[in-house]
Amino acid sequence: MKSMKITLGDLLGSGSRAITRYTGTLLAVFVVQTIVMLAAMFATAMVLANAFAHLPIWDDAVDGDLVSLVVCLKFARGNFLACSSIAFGAILLWSLASWFLAGGVYGVLAQRPEGRAETARTFGASGAATYLTYARLALCAVPGWLLAMLVFALCSGFALQKVQYALTVSDLVGPLLLAIGPALLVMHVMMTVVDYARVELTLRHDSHEPGVIATYLRTLGFVLRRPLTLVHSGLGWLVFVAITLGYGYLAHNRPMYGATGAITLFVIRSGVSLARMAIRFGVLAGQVDLGGSRPLPPRRVEVKAPPKNAG
Amino acid sequence: MLGRTCLAGLALTACSSGHGPARPQHLPPLDKVPALRGGGAARSPRIANYKLDAKLDPSSHMITATETLTWTNTGASQVDMLPFHLYMNAFKNEDSLFMRTTHGEMRGAHATDSGWGWIQIDSIQIGGVERATAISYPDDRDRTVANLPLQQPVQPGQTIEINFKFTEQLPEVFARSGYKGEFNLVGQWFPKIGVRVGTPGAEHWECQPHSANTEFFADFGVYDVTLTVPNTQVVAATGVLVAASDVPGGLRTLTYHAEDVHDFVWMADPYMVTKSGKATLEDGSTVIVRVVYRPEQESFAARHLQAAIGAIEKFSADFVPYPWSIMTVVDPPPDAASGAGGMEYPTLVTTAGDSVLARPGVRVPEFVTVHEVGHNWFQGMLASNEPVEAWMDEGVNEWADSHVMAELYGARSSVIDWEGFTAEYGALSETATEDPANIPSPIATAAFQFVDNAAYGEQSYPGTNRALTTLERTVGTSKFMAAMKAYAKQWAFKHPTGRDLFAALEKELGENLDWYFSPVFEQVGGMRLRVRSAECRPTHPPRGVFGDGTQKKIVTDTDAPTSGAWNCDVFVQNTGVIHVPVDIELDFADGSTQREQWDDHGERAWHELTALHSSRLVGVRLDPDNKISLDVPIEHQYRLEGDGAASLRAGARIASWAQTLMQLVGP
Repeated sequence: MKSMKITLGDLLGSGSRAITRYTGTLLAVFVVQTIVMLAAMFATAMVLANAFAHLPIWDDAVDGDLVSLVVCLKFARGNFLACSSIAFGAILLWSLASWFLAGGVYGVLAQRPEGRAETARTFGASGAATYLTYARLALCAVPGWLLAMLVFALCSGFALQKVQYALTVSDLVGPLLLAIGPALLVMHVMMTVVDYARVELTLRHDSHEPGVIATYLRTLGFVLRRPLTLVHSGLGWLVFVAITLGYGYLAHNRPMYGATGAITLFVIRSGVSLARMAIRFGVLAGQVDLGGSRPLPPRRVEVKAPPKNAG
Repeated sequence: MLGRTCLAGLALTACSSGHGPARPQHLPPLDKVPALRGGGAARSPRIANYKLDAKLDPSSHMITATETLTWTNTGASQVDMLPFHLYMNAFKNEDSLFMRTTHGEMRGAHATDSGWGWIQIDSIQIGGVERATAISYPDDRDRTVANLPLQQPVQPGQTIEINFKFTEQLPEVFARSGYKGEFNLVGQWFPKIGVRVGTPGAEHWECQPHSANTEFFADFGVYDVTLTVPNTQVVAATGVLVAASDVPGGLRTLTYHAEDVHDFVWMADPYMVTKSGKATLEDGSTVIVRVVYRPEQESFAARHLQAAIGAIEKFSADFVPYPWSIMTVVDPPPDAASGAGGMEYPTLVTTAGDSVLARPGVRVPEFVTVHEVGHNWFQGMLASNEPVEAWMDEGVNEWADSHVMAELYGARSSVIDWEGFTAEYGALSETATEDPANIPSPIATAAFQFVDNAAYGEQSYPGTNRALTTLERTVGTSKFMAAMKAYAKQWAFKHPTGRDLFAALEKELGENLDWYFSPVFEQVGGMRLRVRSAECRPTHPPRGVFGDGTQKKIVTDTDAPTSGAWNCDVFVQNTGVIHVPVDIELDFADGSTQREQWDDHGERAWHELTALHSSRLVGVRLDPDNKISLDVPIEHQYRLEGDGAASLRAGARIASWAQTLMQLVGP
């Protein structure tokens, strides 16, 4: 077991190296996501065209006329509900698929295969090996999400009246932070715990066959004792949000980015999504490095393979 | 620890809104102006005149008062009973008609378990004779109307004087009148006599009990009101301040005088400040405009002041000049706004809309002020019977507000002009409301007889706005505005009915409008205008077999080729009950258009257009100039060939948002 002091700089370096070294893996996962997104796009387009193909008012609505948009929403509530369901279905499908994809990414980042064939084999084997484990981990994480919701309910209850009667932005900022800040913090901790638990389950799967619940609880302690884990993943989310808001700012009132042409929209927004996915990929790489530096879990089985340590 | 963190943060934010203890206020300066702008003769018959003397205890929110009512029988029949509104009893208990019909909720504000209100008559004297025990209540569960039988009838032309003593508890405000914290809005607070209506010789009393959707109806008169309050209170009231003095015990007496009004309201609050301005009318005379507000609402007070000044100037120019010397706008504290805000009284209105979301350019505060000030015309001067014909003031005012907002803030951005988003009030209000064809109560329904509160709101406000807007655009805006101005001049300081409005419009517009008024205001069903079918076929000489025997000839497509022209048939239908002239425009592939009008006043529910044209028909537009507000316009434009490009763009946007969420849950 190595004893090493890993810094934030090391984790950021791991991330950038992983992105350049395993660009193909990143792009492969992105392509799968894009396929799901395209399927959702064409399905919603068909549902909307069914209602509006012959009605020019819909063109005005899509191009930003608020009154036309409200009229169309009221006219075809069922169609818009169907579009929401399609989007929700795509997100749900992706959630289920991501257990495999995350397992594959963690496996590649941990084992560092060389060459496309080896990388693909490692990706598939790791994803398949950890799929059900990640599914059980998702169930383990439910109490954490419930805790976040409880915190949100409590804090927003305290702050509700202040928000309701706020007259200026400064009146609003304090109560809003009070309402959502603690819940966001709890959510961030829970998401980081899940990430590091996945790392542990991937790294120790063959050598230790760790239990899911025990891994989750040990990882909770690890994350709370190592603030670096929260800072690193928090930085990743901040950049994720900054990219999103930055695109929103650039697209605002600029029809070339926001309003004209499905192909143009698709290309520009795909670029934004790829940038965000690259950030997540880099964060996962750092997590594999830091997770690999943890003490081994106590339970041991007959060693089938040597423990996987990063670095 | 988390709980303590939350509490600490809350404490910090809570501390920022305190006002400290109430302090004695300077004696307010008198309004050295007459109650009527420019003084002069009475504008109304002054049937019901009130002298009131009231004392407020702000700690208990109780009022003790005396009232002298002088009422004149201007009818042709004698009167042997006087009915009075005791509106404050609407808040007495859950048995009141008001509480039963509102379920203790109005416009998002809720009644509280401890904040009941009531009015108790301690004494009624006529000619020195005590008559309090003679009072009866038509509905003993609901004591918002009390009847007082007279020992001597009041003959036509006679005047009677009645003296009251009463005690009143203000409720915690959720429906116009009451207190919230240290803010007191005292409205509908004194015994108020009903109105004699009907044909001469057959008059009857109009004095409806107070329910969820009914507002108010009263005669014009003169009000002299003396208010005694602690000297820590800032007071605003109807009319002009004619006397002010401090009295022992830390109290202050303020006397207000108002002429040719039909109500008196007042506000008392220890923390309010005032901002003033002047509205200038077309004849050069001015109206003092004041906004009374709490200091933390300073930025909104400036907006309300500008809106009020603009509204007085525009309404005066468009209809009749504002007749009084002063207009006061009370901006309630945020926690009282949903209960006390957004209400009209002669010369004093309460506004609302102050919120962090109402950024400059999101003109909700301005709109509320314009709307309430506008009520000083529609209901304040043109004093229609609100319980029976709510649309006459609410809906007509909504229509007028659309014009005034457009004049003040621009036609396309009258209510929203923010971050590139613009919206005109009328169009936005139409989109936010229900399709008129789906509402089972017509516009001209008594307020207390609508199927539900939602139908009352939809028909009395935007429904009437749509109806008047459609008529206006059909006959022409300048003609219609001139007709409404004539109506306002004819009926100011009287009690117009819907029939009076229709008669005035028919007279000014010079045509019988029964084909419009009856279905639009008195029937259910709305309009359902759409393109039923549209198709084009290439033209050619007739093909087939012609002639008999030896002269039989077969004409084929080679013999009779297409001529290059198109024969187009369009069927338009209206399956609603309302039929107005509809402009129909056909758009052809070569860019040309052809327009005609369908105007049969409802004889048939469909109309056919045919066109022989050199290029194909590509689209049909119904009502291309947007004259018709009575129908949902979704199907007013139709293209023959389907086009999915916009749907694909929308699909790309929706999928992109879904992808953002996928990236939050995925690797």
